[in-house]
Amino acid sequence: MPTKKTNQTSDVGNISVSISDAFLLHSFSGLGLAASFWIGYNIYSINLISDPVQTLRLLCIVEIPISILLHSFFRQNSKQCSYWKAVVQGVVGLPVGALLMAFGAVVLGAPVGIQYLVKTLYWSFLMSAFTFVPTACIYGSTWKDWQRLFAYTKPIGVLDYIICIPAHGALIGAWLGAWPMPLDWERPWQEWPICVSYGAVVGYMVGMVVSMIFVLILGRGQSHSKRE
Amino acid sequence: MSSSSTLTCTKLTAWTLAAVFLQILGLSLFVFGFFPVKPTLSGVSGPESYQAPKCDSKQDHLERNMLPPDQLRSLYKEISKIPSSFDRLILMVVDGLPAEFVLGKDDQPPPKAMMEAMPYTQSLLSNGTAIGYHAKAAPPTVTMPRLKAMVSGAIGGFLDVAFNFNTQALLDDNLLGQFYSIGWKMVIHGDETWIKLFPSVFMRHDGVSSFFVKDTVEVDHNVSRHIEAELMDNDWDLLILHYLGLDHVGHIGGRSSVLMTPKLKEMDEVIQRIHLGISDNHHGQTLLMVVSDHGMTDSGNHGGSSYEETDSVALFIGLGSKAPDYASATCNAVFQVDLAPTLALLFGVPIPKNNVGIVIAETIDSLTEDHQLRALELNSWQLLRLLRAQLPGLLCGLPSCNEFNYSQNLGISEFKGNLEEILYCLFVKAASLHDYWRSMKGQSVRSHSSNEFNDTVAAYNKFLRTSSDWLSRTASNKPLGLLAFGVSTMFISSVMFLSIQFWLNKEVRNRQRQYLPDSDKSGYNWHLDDSFVLLVILFLVFSMGSSSMVEEEQYTLHYMTCTLFLILLRKSCQFLHGRQSPSLFNSNKGQRFNYFRTFSIVLVLIFGRILRGWHQGGVNWIHFPDISKWLEKAGPHMIKSLQMVSGLLVIILSFFALYISRLKRMFILVVQISLLVSGILVLLHIMRYQEQTFSASSDSSNVVVQTIYTLLIMTVMVVVLGSPWVMPVLSGTTYSAAEASSVTSFFVDHDTRGPFLGLRASLYLVGWTYAVCWCLLQLLLQKPTNAMPTLLLLLQVLASMFYFSTGNQHHKQWVEVAALYFLGLAGHFSLGNTNTLATIDVAGAFIGISSHSTLFSGILMFIITYASPLLCHLSLTMYISMKGTDYKLASQDAHFGHILQMMIGIPCLVPLSLNSVILTTFTVILLIMRNHLFVWSVFSPKYMYVCAATVCVYIGLSIVAATVTYTCVVFLVRKNMLSSVGNSSIQTGVTNN
Repeated sequence: MPTKKTNQTSDVGNISVSISDAFLLHSFSGLGLAASFWIGYNIYSINLISDPVQTLRLLCIVEIPISILLHSFFRQNSKQCSYWKAVVQGVVGLPVGALLMAFGAVVLGAPVGIQYLVKTLYWSFLMSAFTFVPTACIYGSTWKDWQRLFAYTKPIGVLDYIICIPAHGALIGAWLGAWPMPLDWERPWQEWPICVSYGAVVGYMVGMVVSMIFVLILGRGQSHSKRE
Repeated sequence: MSSSSTLTCTKLTAWTLAAVFLQILGLSLFVFGFFPVKPTLSGVSGPESYQAPKCDSKQDHLERNMLPPDQLRSLYKEISKIPSSFDRLILMVVDGLPAEFVLGKDDQPPPKAMMEAMPYTQSLLSNGTAIGYHAKAAPPTVTMPRLKAMVSGAIGGFLDVAFNFNTQALLDDNLLGQFYSIGWKMVIHGDETWIKLFPSVFMRHDGVSSFFVKDTVEVDHNVSRHIEAELMDNDWDLLILHYLGLDHVGHIGGRSSVLMTPKLKEMDEVIQRIHLGISDNHHGQTLLMVVSDHGMTDSGNHGGSSYEETDSVALFIGLGSKAPDYASATCNAVFQVDLAPTLALLFGVPIPKNNVGIVIAETIDSLTEDHQLRALELNSWQLLRLLRAQLPGLLCGLPSCNEFNYSQNLGISEFKGNLEEILYCLFVKAASLHDYWRSMKGQSVRSHSSNEFNDTVAAYNKFLRTSSDWLSRTASNKPLGLLAFGVSTMFISSVMFLSIQFWLNKEVRNRQRQYLPDSDKSGYNWHLDDSFVLLVILFLVFSMGSSSMVEEEQYTLHYMTCTLFLILLRKSCQFLHGRQSPSLFNSNKGQRFNYFRTFSIVLVLIFGRILRGWHQGGVNWIHFPDISKWLEKAGPHMIKSLQMVSGLLVIILSFFALYISRLKRMFILVVQISLLVSGILVLLHIMRYQEQTFSASSDSSNVVVQTIYTLLIMTVMVVVLGSPWVMPVLSGTTYSAAEASSVTSFFVDHDTRGPFLGLRASLYLVGWTYAVCWCLLQLLLQKPTNAMPTLLLLLQVLASMFYFSTGNQHHKQWVEVAALYFLGLAGHFSLGNTNTLATIDVAGAFIGISSHSTLFSGILMFIITYASPLLCHLSLTMYISMKGTDYKLASQDAHFGHILQMMIGIPCLVPLSLNSVILTTFTVILLIMRNHLFVWSVFSPKYMYVCAATVCVYIGLSIVAATVTYTCVVFLVRKNMLSSVGNSSIQTGVTNN
């Protein structure tokens, strides 16, 4: 903990992220998810189980812009890097992250085939929006920051917690979500991207809540130290 | 600082061996306790079986009748009170014929192609001459236990599978023994399993071996050539014809093999010939039965308990009664064990003592009502005797049923009370109804009587069905004390392994602290990869509690192994760019190597995915497309070219790897050449002989294969025994740094001091030879579609080896060994193995064996099945040669024991401990699941695999340990010789205690 505090000023630089910012960011993402599920269910009458492709597409359409646009506000070095540059970083990061996610999924056993291509595509874009895009928007292509967040999982400061924990939550959720797939329960949701997507969404939600808790604790410590 | 807790090499070895011994002891105790040799009634049924059983069981054993056969026969005829309707029996066994081919499935007639393939049989079925049954076989669906079940009516123990390749005479009471005792003359043509089961009862026999699976023509011709002569003869009473061809067709090509339809046609012609031959009644009434011992899966295998495998057929041709229509002749379901009492009653011999089957109703329809009831009664008495053996109080002191007046209270069918009472009351009800019917028979009107008759039959059937179900379901009493002792012994040994492991890790850590004080201490903190290895074990162990997870274990293992490697990938990303790892490399070179390392993990992952896709595996999703199915569809040329490519790549890889080693070029050249020759022979065998699957394996192919075996064994022996003597024992001064640095291919180590250079070069050579020889052997033995997976497995092992060898300090050694171990487990499933016994490749086990030998085929089968785990274990030799630093640590006070302990301690202990954890927990799971519905079909086969995997770990690790110890001893001896000669000046850093 003490190292984090000392590094904070140097690493986070000139962005100040208040607790309310973090709360807003997370609530927008969460609301976006909820809204897209609601729209899918009530307007198009689709859900993940009956129409995985359409629902995933809807989730992507809602969640990707939210992710890119919101996270770009918190870009690092806001002096040198304009808002739109951060947006472009996010847009570029999206397919790269999707590629990595698709690679991971296929390596772990996701089915390969023409009939699964679209599903895998949308799923990996959604995962990329959860995990890859926020970091791409905020840190661009600074390898050191990426390494810190994903290879070491050592978030420093509020901003890191905001992007790192939900991303890991989504990954772990997706990983856990794949467990029921080989079982012989013969439920429709055991198909390839469905339970993994559910797992990812749930994991992302849990990650957001956990990151909020961390941010609150961190914020309290911060104000504490300031007072001292 | 570690002197108090120092683990000496002797102590380590002693503890490990003790743990291994305890494990073997516990395992064998458990296995013999859990897979019971079922409690059977001894002796054979005699005349006493025609009397009602009494409370006291002694009277049944009184007279051991020594009557001559003729008298016994007439005695039976007299006291059974059932006239036998047939004089002779022809039992035609078509090995592996699924009932679906003849009778269809789910009340649907069989597919058109099948109907057309068997026109005569179908005409018999449709005109009512024949009645067909789906005779459900009990698992394990392997020939010998099924034959035993058919003739004795008893359901054998699970361990019968293990004895299937070592057929022994059937000593239990059985039909053939009964027939023999009444003087029947019996003839067998076909599968020699019969002759082994009944060595002395046959008057004439012509056995064919079921072990040459690739022969589908000759086996059946050898049976059919006798038919004409036997049909003309009248000196036999029982003729058994056991056709193996259809099973062989299945093993080669599956249900939809192109050879299947011709084979069915052939069987149909045989049925036609026999039926026409016996129709004229020259030699009395003859019953023709066509049965199969088991079915087959879509891929043609059998052994498990799926519907496809247990769906065997039983056709009665020429019964007196006629089936009214096609549907009623084909849509009946019975159990395979029901054949024994049915045949016994039809032919007037006592029902075998341990029979749990019940007489098939339609077969006795042609008898009078009196005789039908008598048959049911005899069957009930026999089952009651068997029940009495397991429920001793059954016939004594159960008066509760007596007050019922059964002629009135027919509606009462629900009895309360314990099992004994239920069974007893059911029996009493049936018996008193029978008495009532007998008393009514004389006087009453016919319609009334038939009503009573139906009630009696229903009551008998109810008793028979209930007791038969209970008998066949009940896993007989298991000696709980023995099981608990076995499990606790295994548990203790597991704890021992884990604590030794723990001590050793502590020891290594202490050494590291002692000798490398400046090293990165955080390297020995608890990391994600360490905890994940534990998580893998936990997940594996818990997943085995669910039957469908056991069936689909390949998913779990692949998922966990891949995740472990993804975590390793994440870790290797930590060392990319910027942050310098505390490694031996200078930054430029280290950076480049870090990229290579990352790339090698990506390769492992990609290869792993391809391997996962090669065989779908499992039970539920086996019909999904996979690469091997696609290859089989693509045709033999595709498969063959892939085989050639894999073979060539293995040879090239071995050349490359050995070429890099620059020490003792001549010796290595010899090794290379012998590997090359055996590789070329393997390729030659693939090109030339593999196509001859449909005919008996020729002599020349056997010669080639045997040459390959000899060559591979010779090469391994020469390398293992010779290389420690050849490799230089001197330190690096003799060789320039440039040469020495590339002594092991991937290994970049600037430290060329010490005696370990030669030692490691020698181990490297041995490890490579093991791996390459093993792969060449697998290319020869495995199914043709498995050639590429073999290569991929080798590549996976090499890539992870490369990753581990260049990053000494990034991982704890035990994590690396565990990762290799998991690779081996996952690879086991990518070679098409599953947790059912059906996927064991029987066909490969006879390659190159000219005479039938159970031992050699068993060894080959083991080699084929455990190809991947053994490859990983053997490659641990290479792994040991590549781990550098730890020995350097030891070298400063180079005690021989310490070196040895550092080298083989962790690589051997990690697989042992992991395996012991899996073994112990699965034993507990099996114990908990002993009443589970799938205990015999899912959990027990899996347990067999776990046991075999334990054996595989023992074998692999003892080879590794022996090799390394031998090499070390030789180097020690040579070093001592050198220093005694007097040029010890070089070895300043090494002092020998």
